[in-house]
Amino acid sequence: MRRRHDPRGTGHGIERLRGRRRRPGEPVEAGGQRGEQSRSGDQPRYETGTTIVGVTASDAVVLAADRRMSLGGRFTANKAVRKVERVHPTAAMAISGAVGPAQRLLDSVRAEASLYASRRGEPLSVPALARTAGHAVTGLPVAPLLGGVDEDGPRVYELDGSGSVLADAYAAGGSGLQVAYGVLERRFEDGLSVEAATETATAAVATASERDTASGNGVTVAVITDDGVAVESRAEAADAGDDAEGVA
Amino acid sequence: MRSDQQGYDRGVTVFSPDGRLYQVEYAREAVERGSPVVGVCADEAVVFAASGPRRSSLMAAESIEKIHDLDGRLGAASAGHVADGRRLVDVGREFAQRERLRYGEPPRVESVAKAIADFVQETTQTGGTRPFGAALLVGGVDGAPDPLTGESPHRGGDSVPGAVDSGPRLYEVDPSGAPTEYHAAAVGHGADESRAFLETEYEPGLDRAGGTTLALEALTESVDEPTAAELDLAVLDADGIDSFGPERRASALDDAGLAAS
Repeated sequence: MRRRHDPRGTGHGIERLRGRRRRPGEPVEAGGQRGEQSRSGDQPRYETGTTIVGVTASDAVVLAADRRMSLGGRFTANKAVRKVERVHPTAAMAISGAVGPAQRLLDSVRAEASLYASRRGEPLSVPALARTAGHAVTGLPVAPLLGGVDEDGPRVYELDGSGSVLADAYAAGGSGLQVAYGVLERRFEDGLSVEAATETATAAVATASERDTASGNGVTVAVITDDGVAVESRAEAADAGDDAEGVA
Repeated sequence: MRSDQQGYDRGVTVFSPDGRLYQVEYAREAVERGSPVVGVCADEAVVFAASGPRRSSLMAAESIEKIHDLDGRLGAASAGHVADGRRLVDVGREFAQRERLRYGEPPRVESVAKAIADFVQETTQTGGTRPFGAALLVGGVDGAPDPLTGESPHRGGDSVPGAVDSGPRLYEVDPSGAPTEYHAAAVGHGADESRAFLETEYEPGLDRAGGTTLALEALTESVDEPTAAELDLAVLDADGIDSFGPERRASALDDAGLAAS
């Protein structure tokens, strides 16, 4: 008779919950419609058509993203994509890259964080959450930003499919990142108020949406504090302020 | 060995001629030896009360875990072999997350209880295993927004044909792997007394405080004098699991008129 109890059955990885483990280098199924999927040899490649930013304030983090999903940056396939989601009681993630793997990544990270909290009776620290997300994103055509607040303060992490996990005070990602960084470099400073950080993050996304054809259709903003994560999405073109109108 | 058992208790997979599984019955005895837990469905919440007496004054009271968070929303209370109970709780935790990954919505109390029950049942029919010497009460509020995502879970609502009602649910999973739904339940040492008390005293429509008091009174039927230090108390409602700290446990005992220490 088949032995019922799998001796490995007490492992803790979420990949195991899904029933299969993806090997490094194994092609991911073409779940993502956004972005160019150009094949060079056997390797699918995904561009990131999006603008996402993360900005720390004195005791909060603000993540912002545009709402457009495009096909190769040439056709708007969806105008109300939610690219920022809560994954932890005091952390959220903004996604850029292939949509399918990115959505599964959000689910996995959320499941890992929840399982940790149930098992240990306390939430994951933000650095531990970033490390967990780094494991989960490795090998995926996704480059997310993670923003979180814990007792050590607010932090933004840049992650990508190579598994890198880089902490920073502010960051931008996606195809609009160069425009967004232009705004962030000029406006960011340490110890911003929540309002100022929200305006800066929103302006960065709005400005990138002006010039990057793969970004647009409004903005989603997540404000993360000790109290939790508040996500707000709006369709109207965000106010880019003087950043988009050209400096007089 | 008693002569009427004739070795039928040697293997878990062997029925006795009168159709009993002795190993499963022994596992129920193990549950009876465990310190008791009580579960009560109130109007909008499920209340768990448990006693975890210290065997030595050197033991850290907080290390005795009787009530467990499953996914921030549902909870389980265990009686019997502690190690076996912990394993079942983790089965429930992993199931709850797997359901979210698969369906994008949190599982109902019934689904989690039945998943744990199916896991337990396999040990009663598989060679080389022993049954779980623990019983679990699984409870929580169905249909509430998921604390993980903030989203309302089930398609459903009252207008959808076939949709299951939302509200508090309480299941017991016993060592045979049978899931049974209750309005109020007790397992562990002295559970018969607690059950008899609940059968006469339970009535639907209890508020949160009323449910807490009833659960503590029922627990007192099987434990002489529950002290705040040895008590485990939690309320599961639409906001998720709320485990009481020492001070709130003491005041809950006070409110129930059971203040002992």
